[in-house]
Amino acid sequence: MTAAPAVLTVTRLIDQPRVDRYAVAASDPNPIHRETPEAYAGPFGQPVAHGMLVLGLVADALTQGFGLAWAESGSLKVRWRSPALTPATVTARADLKKDQDGLATYEVTCTDQRGEVLLTGTASVRHA
Amino acid sequence: MTHTLQFADLARGQAFARFPLTVSAQEVQAYLESTGESVEPWREHVPPVFLDAIAIAALLRTVAIPKGVMHTGQEHESHRAARIDEPLEVEMRVSALSERRGAVMAAFEAVLTDAEAAPVQTMKISVMVLPDGVLVDGGAP
Repeated sequence: MTAAPAVLTVTRLIDQPRVDRYAVAASDPNPIHRETPEAYAGPFGQPVAHGMLVLGLVADALTQGFGLAWAESGSLKVRWRSPALTPATVTARADLKKDQDGLATYEVTCTDQRGEVLLTGTASVRHA
Repeated sequence: MTHTLQFADLARGQAFARFPLTVSAQEVQAYLESTGESVEPWREHVPPVFLDAIAIAALLRTVAIPKGVMHTGQEHESHRAARIDEPLEVEMRVSALSERRGAVMAAFEAVLTDAEAAPVQTMKISVMVLPDGVLVDGGAP
């Protein structure tokens, strides 16, 4: 049986233009994500990125590690810990915790450029 | 936007949406360009987290979500990869609903099935609605 592949760290700038494009592509019109009065009057005092856009970095890392196997057998369970205030340079990492019977389980984390933890959770993919 | 349901009217176990879904190559490309992911692995299949995002969009269209709602968690399990242009069906229900100290916690489950009614992907969207004026550290809008 082969060992679980290494999952590389993914780092990406999440700025307002990216958030705006995501809002359209994902059909999420919540004004708190855009340059709107609602965002500036909201709990964070400025626009914040969609949590699912942050999670997309984790998915990207798993895709790079596993290819289509991620879509065929992957699972994840995450919680958001802090909002991603735009612009944010977000880093997603996946640390292997268990590799048993062809199922690799990773602890996944996203942090911003200040080291603030944005997201934590686990992800599993069958690789053999 | 006209919503079918008010958040306050939801009940645990309630099925609130069922709709056909077909994801095109153009939609996948627009999604990947927005997230910054490579298009190459997804020439024939739909990225699973995009399907999660589509379910969230359906939730936002159907249920009038109160201001200040926090997307606190997301769960996802792929049973197989969904193909681009494949006819799918999405069914959504309220899987959990509770209140504590004025904050409402809710979870919405979505099941994607194929033309043979076989599961393709299941997911759970967890949200928290805070009482007015309360802030917490966790969660993402």
